[in-house]
Amino acid sequence: MCSCRTYVPVIACILIPGFELRAALRKQPGLALRPAALAPAAGTEPLLGPVTAEAERLGVRPGMRMGEALATCPQLVLVEQDPAVAEQAWEQILRSLEDSGFAVDPAETGCVYFETRGVERLYGGLEAALRRALTAVGTAWDPRAGAAQRRFAALAAANVARPGQILVVSDERLQDFLAPLPLELVPMEPRRRAELHELGVKSVGQLAGLPGAAVAERLGPDGRRAWGLARGGKPARVRGRRPPAEIVEALEFPEAVGNELTLRRAFAALLETLLARPERGDRFIRKLALVARLVGGGSWRRTVTLRDATTELGRLKAALGPKLTELPAPVLELRLELVELTEHDGQQLELLPAAGGELDVRLREGLRQVRASTGSGSVNQVVEVAPWSRIPEARALFVPRDD
Amino acid sequence: MVTHSGSPGAVRAAGRLNQPRPAVVEARVDGTPVRVNRQPVALLREEWRVVDRWWTEEPIARRYFEVVLQSGENAVVFRDEQRSCWFTQRGA
Repeated sequence: MCSCRTYVPVIACILIPGFELRAALRKQPGLALRPAALAPAAGTEPLLGPVTAEAERLGVRPGMRMGEALATCPQLVLVEQDPAVAEQAWEQILRSLEDSGFAVDPAETGCVYFETRGVERLYGGLEAALRRALTAVGTAWDPRAGAAQRRFAALAAANVARPGQILVVSDERLQDFLAPLPLELVPMEPRRRAELHELGVKSVGQLAGLPGAAVAERLGPDGRRAWGLARGGKPARVRGRRPPAEIVEALEFPEAVGNELTLRRAFAALLETLLARPERGDRFIRKLALVARLVGGGSWRRTVTLRDATTELGRLKAALGPKLTELPAPVLELRLELVELTEHDGQQLELLPAAGGELDVRLREGLRQVRASTGSGSVNQVVEVAPWSRIPEARALFVPRDD
Repeated sequence: MVTHSGSPGAVRAAGRLNQPRPAVVEARVDGTPVRVNRQPVALLREEWRVVDRWWTEEPIARRYFEVVLQSGENAVVFRDEQRSCWFTQRGA
């Protein structure tokens, strides 16, 4: 008798609640035991981010208005956001998981999905594989793991699990498991959630028990989607991400720079250097990130995904340059990262070479020879930053060019 | 700090162009230079002051002199009035 059964892929979710706060607190670990909360980003609504356990004990909740939170808990410490550090720490976690054989699909910082098919045999079963994943993340982050045959169910299980715990939910038990969970677990617009609360719907089970057509009529497509998730969601597959490219250029300023013109020029110099890096090969840029280390310790990061992958300097400048106006403070270091590259997708070749192309090739060759004879750091680009300044040394910077 | 650009996380330190360099200057009582780096001054062409960044913790107060040395070389020197020392500078 054959005992074969059809393998149903299991989706696992690793969750680190309040990841941005945990990442920001790594520089000041003493605050983790005190009432602290992640401050809102500059220019956004004054709503708190994640909060520490001590802050929660004193009545502060994530998403609370800052004024209300400080009135509730006057000793509350507001921790400045550090998106670059968070992104870097998250990337390290993802790579550690990938090194352990998990094809990860990150949903947001602090939440990642992967399928356990393939690694179950490697580690000797589902639980062992998930245990391995938690170890790869590291206990310092208090990760939790949930597994189910559906993505939303895996997320719900990870939300319910305690730090370091693994919770596996089978499809047969799914409805019973989801029913008592709070409605906050289902992603939907806050307005829709408030509407449901007013109607007395406070748990996932209550939402799942409503007729689908009525939910769609009353709450629209967002409500319909939430209703679908409350019933477990569709059994979709998880695709592993494409590992990001590792091409980074950074420029450290001799002093903090807040002048937009200076930053734009520095950005242009970084972009030119990055485009000339040999590791890029003939690949086109799909996604790139601009990161700044700010004076006072914080950081800032903006990512841009281009609709059409390109290597055109003008288009890349136009896509990312305007973001520099959003910088909340003077910059000590500006970094440009090529996050995603694509293969050559058959762009139209030039009929005639661009004017100056030949000279450009000769210049590059000349510089290459100078570098070969004098060594790294001998060729620099002068970037005029404040030509109007009365202080001669403040008028221009020189940026090493080793490309 | 300058690391090789070939590494994934290359950080290039931008430097300042025309950074002042310390100079040995002998001056008269009125503050005008007589010798710059042991070379006699043949002609004092111009003099001006730069007072800036007085609102910061690193204010700038300089007295600049453009001189021609006896060797025929042009030079720009300034006395940093905050630190009471002399510098030469290009591009001034």
